[in-house]
Amino acid sequence: MRRNYNGFLFMLMIPAFLLLAVLIFFPVVKGMVIAFQNYNLNNPLSMVHFNGLDNFKAILFDTNFNFWQIIINTLIWIYVSLFFQFTLGLILALLLREPFRGRGIYSGLVFYPWALSGFAIGLIWSWMFNGQFGIVNDLLQRAHLIHLNVGFLSDPKLAMISVIIVNIWYGVPFFAIMLLAGLQSIPKELFEAAEIDGAGSVKRLFFIILPYIKTTIVSTVLLRTIWIMNFPEIIYAMTSGGPNNATNILSTQMINKLVKFYDYGQGSAVGVIIMVILFAFAFIYLKVSGAKEEGAA
Amino acid sequence: MKRWLLVFLLIVALTGLPVFAETKTLNFLEVMTSPERTVLIKGMIGDYEASHPGVKINLISPPYEQADQKATLMLNSNQPLDIIEVRDNTIKQFVNNNKLANLGKDYRSWKEAKTLTPVAMMAAKTVNNTLYIVPQCIFVKALFVRKDILEKNGITTVPGTIADLVKTCEKITDSAKNQYGFAWRGKSSEMKFADFFASAGITDIKKDTLLYSDTKNYFTDPRYVAGMKIYIELFQKSAPKDAINWGFNEQINGFVSGITPFLMQDPDAIPLIDKMLDPNKYIVIPMPVGPTGSAYLDYGFTGLGIPSYSKNQKQAWDFISWMNSAEKNGYFCEHYGTLPVQSTAFSANKYFQGKHYTAFLTEMTNSKKYFFRPFPQSSTKWPGWDAIHTADLQSVLLGQAKLETVLTKWKEYWSK
Repeated sequence: MRRNYNGFLFMLMIPAFLLLAVLIFFPVVKGMVIAFQNYNLNNPLSMVHFNGLDNFKAILFDTNFNFWQIIINTLIWIYVSLFFQFTLGLILALLLREPFRGRGIYSGLVFYPWALSGFAIGLIWSWMFNGQFGIVNDLLQRAHLIHLNVGFLSDPKLAMISVIIVNIWYGVPFFAIMLLAGLQSIPKELFEAAEIDGAGSVKRLFFIILPYIKTTIVSTVLLRTIWIMNFPEIIYAMTSGGPNNATNILSTQMINKLVKFYDYGQGSAVGVIIMVILFAFAFIYLKVSGAKEEGAA
Repeated sequence: MKRWLLVFLLIVALTGLPVFAETKTLNFLEVMTSPERTVLIKGMIGDYEASHPGVKINLISPPYEQADQKATLMLNSNQPLDIIEVRDNTIKQFVNNNKLANLGKDYRSWKEAKTLTPVAMMAAKTVNNTLYIVPQCIFVKALFVRKDILEKNGITTVPGTIADLVKTCEKITDSAKNQYGFAWRGKSSEMKFADFFASAGITDIKKDTLLYSDTKNYFTDPRYVAGMKIYIELFQKSAPKDAINWGFNEQINGFVSGITPFLMQDPDAIPLIDKMLDPNKYIVIPMPVGPTGSAYLDYGFTGLGIPSYSKNQKQAWDFISWMNSAEKNGYFCEHYGTLPVQSTAFSANKYFQGKHYTAFLTEMTNSKKYFFRPFPQSSTKWPGWDAIHTADLQSVLLGQAKLETVLTKWKEYWSK
């Protein structure tokens, strides 16, 4: 009976599994295979063959696009974005926790960026940050904070800061939504008890709120890290990875190889590198954060 | 009576009609998509269908950013497609994979093949000197000048040479007033601008068929270096610093706002500029020439081809030759803003005799001053060259690399 029941459950899962196989596993496996082939649209596809680690070597020792600079850019892009997205998202969630008049409308407005497409956001902000016609320059000049126009996207240092600011603006709502859901699950009694014990707001944050929503934090931070790493749209629309590779990250480099070089082999190799880094990160991160024990509890 | 008639009609409609009127449907994929252009093509398709009963053209219009990818995907997986729009930067890979039919035979029986402009014929034979497409639009650059801004700055003449242009730009530049000279291009195909300036002094290119190639290049030639230095000087002295990140849209904005009154652009910029600026405020003049009195111009194109596996090749050719007849091509280019491929369209269509178009015709007919030398788009080194060139030139402009180092690197890249 038990066996039959398991068989029945397995049958029920087959459609979902097939769907996943077609939509996710097949492309991933195909991409991994292409990463080891000289798959380049400049050459006839009939000439495609396995070429060992050539694509990876080409990416690692690329004289035009320094791999280590791309890695450093990627790390800066991820961690600075993530830090501010999380901190601001948490503050926002804490503010929105208590009911107040117009909270619904206010939340809607604050969460709005999350509903926009990354490419559209990039295009809008590239005009706002424009060094000649941008509204940011205009506002700073009117406030007498700057005298001459600032080239936000043409100065290598400012370009990275600019795209990260846009990414923060985009990502804060996600953390706010997720953390708010976590916060609302905290029983009121805990706060009442804390108040009776004389715990201040700082103590309440560190000893009640954060430990209680730890699982949410661990999973959202992991998800966001993966998404930010795989999120080239904003950069692509604003700077195309420039000036002189100052904002080129792994995922923009992958697009570069596909769209400009038509080199699907090298593009896929970048994809595999991203996947390996993310797997390694997720493994270490989950170990260190003790997410498993938390999940089991 | 009426009821019987209705029943009869219904029976005919349900059973007989499909047998009598067999409709042939052709799939047509466009890639340079924009809402206005799709409406324009749909209108023309309507005309074609009206005069060709039994033929239906199904237009596929993917969003511009994904269109080339979609074309590649559809062709490589042999999806039903009979007419495909091919661009200068995709033709090579389509031919490589044997996805385009050779149209040589059709050309021979086509009367209007003889009236194609020389540039259009060059474009048609881009890969392996074989006719794989019929060009539909030609893009050539000319110099757009804001006369009103120049007059405001006390300049009454327009530059005929690169040296004049550079001098005028420097003269009117005053960063404190946010007035600059040249709408510099910093990204997305910026080498088309850099190479124009750098190659203008090299007379040897006249003997070549391409501006440079796998077998020949001039990157370290002192004349090329000198030309490049002039171009960089133009950035340093007469362009906003932000222009290092300027693409097409920023260039147009710089021109329309008057911040940069000199702009080098293709004719499709005209309808766009006319929407934002009084057409009397600007003129379009032929490109300035180099120190030897001549210049090399590049051209871009899009055209129509037939997938090699299409089962409706004959009908597809009929549509393509109809679309590219002098009358239809003139109509299409007039509304899209590009240069027609039929030489007769320039005389037959008044629009192309307008003041903003004469410069392009001058460039295409003055063979002593202007030499059309396209980029080596057939080379395997071409894809990605844009990305390499952009990053390298940006590094020079930012002071992170020396011009000479970069030029040597380019020479090695093309000689390897």
